[in-house]
Amino acid sequence: MRLRLLRALATAITISLGTIVFLGLIFGDSSGDGAGLLPGIVRGLGFVQLTNLLLQLTVITIALTVLIGVWNLVMVHFGRVTARRGGWFYSLVALLSFLLVIGLTLAERANILTTAPGERSASMILLETVQISIESALAGLLLFALVYGAARLMHRRVTWWGVLFTAAMLLILLGALPLDSVGGLAQIQRWLLAVPVSAGARGILLGIALATIVTGVRVLIGQDRSYRE
Amino acid sequence: MDSTTQTLAILIFLLTMVVSIVVTQFLRRRRAFITLREVPAYALLPLRIGEAIEASRPIHMSFGSSGLGGENTLLTLAGAELFYQVARRAAISPTAPIITLSDPSTLAVAQDTLRRAYTAANFPERFRATSARWYPAGPRSLVFAAALTGMMGDNDVSAHVLVGSFGTELALIAGAAARRGQPVIAASDQLQGQAVAFAMSESALIGEEIFAAGAYLGESNSQVASIFALDVLRWLLILFILVPTLLTVVSEITRRSASGG
Repeated sequence: MRLRLLRALATAITISLGTIVFLGLIFGDSSGDGAGLLPGIVRGLGFVQLTNLLLQLTVITIALTVLIGVWNLVMVHFGRVTARRGGWFYSLVALLSFLLVIGLTLAERANILTTAPGERSASMILLETVQISIESALAGLLLFALVYGAARLMHRRVTWWGVLFTAAMLLILLGALPLDSVGGLAQIQRWLLAVPVSAGARGILLGIALATIVTGVRVLIGQDRSYRE
Repeated sequence: MDSTTQTLAILIFLLTMVVSIVVTQFLRRRRAFITLREVPAYALLPLRIGEAIEASRPIHMSFGSSGLGGENTLLTLAGAELFYQVARRAAISPTAPIITLSDPSTLAVAQDTLRRAYTAANFPERFRATSARWYPAGPRSLVFAAALTGMMGDNDVSAHVLVGSFGTELALIAGAAARRGQPVIAASDQLQGQAVAFAMSESALIGEEIFAAGAYLGESNSQVASIFALDVLRWLLILFILVPTLLTVVSEITRRSASGG
């Protein structure tokens, strides 16, 4: 009985706040002409101010989730180290790196670790020499992963869609070559990108947009059950 | 927002709401009213979950960089529905499914998805909050991809369901999974990620298919009704594109024939 009441309460809160934010966002924009019964009611009831307040609260809550994320990260790796599960040594390195960066940043903030004017701080040096280098190396590897993926598509199974995908990809890559002998291919490449690729991309994006609308409406009318269980 | 856009937004909202409610009520009486077309990825999922349970290895699911509060909030909810259906089936396995993400706002959604799945499967005591894992990522998500390639080996993952927001870094994850013989079912709201998903996954979900998980894997009438509502909106959109185009072509032909005559 108590659980049912809680579910009903959760549904009521979701529907009412969702509807207020929806109406507040639609009619709260000052660029509209503001005439009509519904915009007048929405503004008169203070939905616009309430919407802004709710959105600010959302932004603050989302910002706080970083702390929850850090706690989760530490707990996952700490659990692996203490249980000596596979890859525990890497988890130990992750934990020590975490503590090192936190320690460095705190030391910089407390002026224990000072930096001369014009020089980079220790935490910034760490970021630039470790994370950016690793990301750049991975970006280089990405090319090989993409080529491997294209090769694997035809290796796994030969379908009409697979053949079409590979042929289009090869045409576009060949058309991008800066050679005079492939001038005709460059025209085909431009047409492919301007007509079928653009149409297909718009089709996929329109499909996602329509599904997003339906999912949003399901949440607003209380048909989505994820917050009720 | 001008008044035409405001009116259209309200009309689309009302139409979707009415179709969803009416079809849900209709389906309660006649379940066979709507037959869903086959989506290969959803047909494959139960098989991959069964293999994971038999091998006592975890299924890995990932939201990528999709999060709450931004433009892909509803994609996050759709992904959560799919992961709930997978986790509910995989809950009988002693090895817990793993959910990974790079946006911390999704962490609570991931943990709640697992908790609900274990509760629905009558194994609430098996839920572990650390089965949902946040891997911090830079703007290009390459570090996230690198973390996943390490995780899939350490945890001896059975299969991957990657549904969320991924860019070309999906190629690194899918490539590493392929080298380990771990099948991948993938989809992304980013076009680059979607192209990689099509080329490198065992079966890809395309576009709005991401949002249909509840209808295909769940038993709820309202979720099947949402597919019907989506189809109604799709046909209306097609009409809104085709009718003005045809009218323009006809008027142009009439104008030319009149000026020629």
